[in-house]
Amino acid sequence: MASVGFTAFAILFLIGMVGIFLWQSLPVWQQEGWSYLTGERWFFRQLEFGILPMIYGSLAVALIALGFSVPIGVGAAIFAAEILHPRLRVPLKIAVELLAGVPSVVYGLLGILFLRDWIYSILTPFDPLSGDTLLTAGLLLGMMVLPTIMTLSDDALRGVPTGYRQAARGLGLTRAEVIFSAIFPQAWRGILAAVLLGFGRALGETIAVFLVVGRQDNVLPEHWFSLRPLIEAGQTLTSKLGGAETHIAYSDPLHWAAIVGLGLVLLAIVAGITWLAAWLMRAKEVSDAPGI
Amino acid sequence: MFRLLSTFALLLALALPPETQAQTVLKINGSTTVNLPVAEAAEILRTEQGMAIQVDTQGGSSGGLSMLGDGLVDIGMSSKHLIDSDRSKYPQVQFEEIHIGEDAVAMIVSRDVWEGGVRALSREQLQGIYEGRIKNWKEVGGADQRIAFFNKSPGSGTWEVFANWLYGSAKKAPQVSFPEVGGNEEARNKVASTRGALSQLSASWADGKRVFPLALTTEDGRLVEPNSTNIATHQYPMSRPLFLLTNGKPQGLAQTFIEFVLSERGQQLVRKHGYLSLDQIE
Amino acid sequence: MRRVFDRFLTGLTALCALIGVSIILMIVAAVVWRGGGAISWDFLTDQIRLVGASGGIFYNILGTLILLVTALAVSAPFAFGIALTHGVFLRKTRSRERLMMWIYVLNGVPSILLGLLGFIVFVLFLGWGKSWLTGGILLGMMMVPTVAVSLSERIQALPSRYLDAAAGLGLTESQRIWSVILPQSFGGWVTGSLLGLARAAGETAPIMFTATIFAGATLPTGIKENPVLSLPYHIFILAQDSFDPATGEKLWGAALVLLLLVFSLSLAALPLRLHLHEEAKTS
Repeated sequence: MASVGFTAFAILFLIGMVGIFLWQSLPVWQQEGWSYLTGERWFFRQLEFGILPMIYGSLAVALIALGFSVPIGVGAAIFAAEILHPRLRVPLKIAVELLAGVPSVVYGLLGILFLRDWIYSILTPFDPLSGDTLLTAGLLLGMMVLPTIMTLSDDALRGVPTGYRQAARGLGLTRAEVIFSAIFPQAWRGILAAVLLGFGRALGETIAVFLVVGRQDNVLPEHWFSLRPLIEAGQTLTSKLGGAETHIAYSDPLHWAAIVGLGLVLLAIVAGITWLAAWLMRAKEVSDAPGI
Repeated sequence: MFRLLSTFALLLALALPPETQAQTVLKINGSTTVNLPVAEAAEILRTEQGMAIQVDTQGGSSGGLSMLGDGLVDIGMSSKHLIDSDRSKYPQVQFEEIHIGEDAVAMIVSRDVWEGGVRALSREQLQGIYEGRIKNWKEVGGADQRIAFFNKSPGSGTWEVFANWLYGSAKKAPQVSFPEVGGNEEARNKVASTRGALSQLSASWADGKRVFPLALTTEDGRLVEPNSTNIATHQYPMSRPLFLLTNGKPQGLAQTFIEFVLSERGQQLVRKHGYLSLDQIE
Repeated sequence: MRRVFDRFLTGLTALCALIGVSIILMIVAAVVWRGGGAISWDFLTDQIRLVGASGGIFYNILGTLILLVTALAVSAPFAFGIALTHGVFLRKTRSRERLMMWIYVLNGVPSILLGLLGFIVFVLFLGWGKSWLTGGILLGMMMVPTVAVSLSERIQALPSRYLDAAAGLGLTESQRIWSVILPQSFGGWVTGSLLGLARAAGETAPIMFTATIFAGATLPTGIKENPVLSLPYHIFILAQDSFDPATGEKLWGAALVLLLLVFSLSLAALPLRLHLHEEAKTS
């Protein structure tokens, strides 16, 4: 049946992507092996390819994004699902959907125009190099990921059957207590999935990050928790892929392999996180409260 | 729904003639510096002669070179000379460099650096900054301010010219990591809005209002500014030619285009965007 | 004490919601403020001149529309295939869950990787150069999960009385699909597609290596070596390389047009989704 054929193709698409990336990046794996992942130096002119700083950059930026968007997103979701008057739900939902639809290039523009200078002036006491930092990219990403977290957390909270709420209310609990004692224990899986999906999205975003992250290679802190690099420029897996090197790398097999390798690593990380999120949500039937 | 799909299919079929028309489109790619007069020339030829010309700036001068070498474009734009390793990467390709104008790479600084007294740098000082040994403007006669150096992105002809002058050849440049800027406008914007900033920029973009071009101190202590005279007479060390590259002698559409750029109207465009036209160079 | 905490939580979460709403308002305000002045009939119907310093964005809008229509056509068979497989052909819950997980993972693939894949397969292997079709295919594949899930939800939510009636009339499975399920779930396809298109319209990364250029393309005349202009790529390049202060307003004008396009697509899906949701609730 044609349906199954198309379905199979869609699945193979993903496997094919992994396969093609693996094949095209083979030279760098053969040449560098594990030191590709753990190496701290990327100097393409000398054919040195270590991507640890970019992995650090991607993680740092995504974690900052979550730090901003999770509290606000989950808070707003709680408000929308539990507290808000039902009439006002639709306008709020519309606002969130529109926010989710804003293209990343527009976010990038806003980052260049407003966020960059704002961060630069705020960070002045710390003597930053410029306004393009990992922090800037992280905050911008936070705004981009906020609607995702909000919508999915809202879905998770609404997915808890009303019976729980009624029972808890009947016991005399305040609304806050209902939320924490009755709803959260049921909804935490969905909320965690929302956070993971937001994380995956933040890791995969290219254009907005490219414009405000500074694009400086080989930035790695001495200690993993030192905060200094956050106010310096950095490089992420995506900002490298979206940059000039991808256009010029093809003339050298090793350079090209290193670039495609970035794609492979990014794919592996994001696919893993998304799979985990999907697994967490597996208990929810697809037919549960679609959309609004 | 079927009707929709079949209508679309019909439109698709109408839009696809049996042969692709790749030969009648002129494709150009390369340096953002050269792009300015070239893009405008393309616009004029499109309007006046109905030529189909596509211009893009992916990968800078190196991108122009590699896309020409890979056969993806007909003309490459470059703001630096070809070197042997460029040619050896594409042994089948016969690169023709067609000189269309002259420009220079200036070291530009932000207003606070300029007003802090820094007006020139020597080769040694620039090397020190590039290699990270000199980190503060006070070490080179300026105020106490961290040097914020922005390096041009990979593929940039501007960077190669800079590295050539500093180290004799781009290959000999040491490995460094600085924040990156892409095209000329991004470089200018970043330098204008960052304290203590320094970067490489096409001299014609250094307007003296938002960003300020430094003079270079030569071995015998002279200060050479990147103005038209010094560039035209090659006294300014980092002058660089603007090239259109082709594979073999230009033919057909490429030839028409290049002849236009070399004509008086084309050269006027070169001057309009702040570069030196061929007649101004010595 | 408990009351205080309750009030506090209410206030805190309300603040969060307020922050969310104000962000979208600020974004729209900023783009309108900066770009509103550039919008005019000429801007929308003229082509780019002087590398973006004057002229308009007509061919950019056209290019984006070409990509969207192609993406719609490409995504439809896959979305229907997946939704039908999930809703009708797969019996076991386990298999359904597995399929959905794959779809989620597909949805999470960063768009830059689609661009990279497209570059390798279409530009390097097939030698198509930059082509509008490549862009349409990549954007279409990106849309598939959104459309498939929306369709799937719709199929799941079909009132059982339709299917019962069909069974009662003795229809075969194939007839059930074509005469009952597909027509009834059409709304799900429309809403899913509108949402998917809204996302596809704003994407730069999948098309910047494979389908779009900055200047010089009008209408494609074939498949190979036939790029299009596009709104997001235009904005991306100008954001880094605007050559003239005059382009500033035009740059934001293009951003405003893109934003309006994306919002229209998103909002167009809304009435239908509300209607479908109501119907699902009452049946």
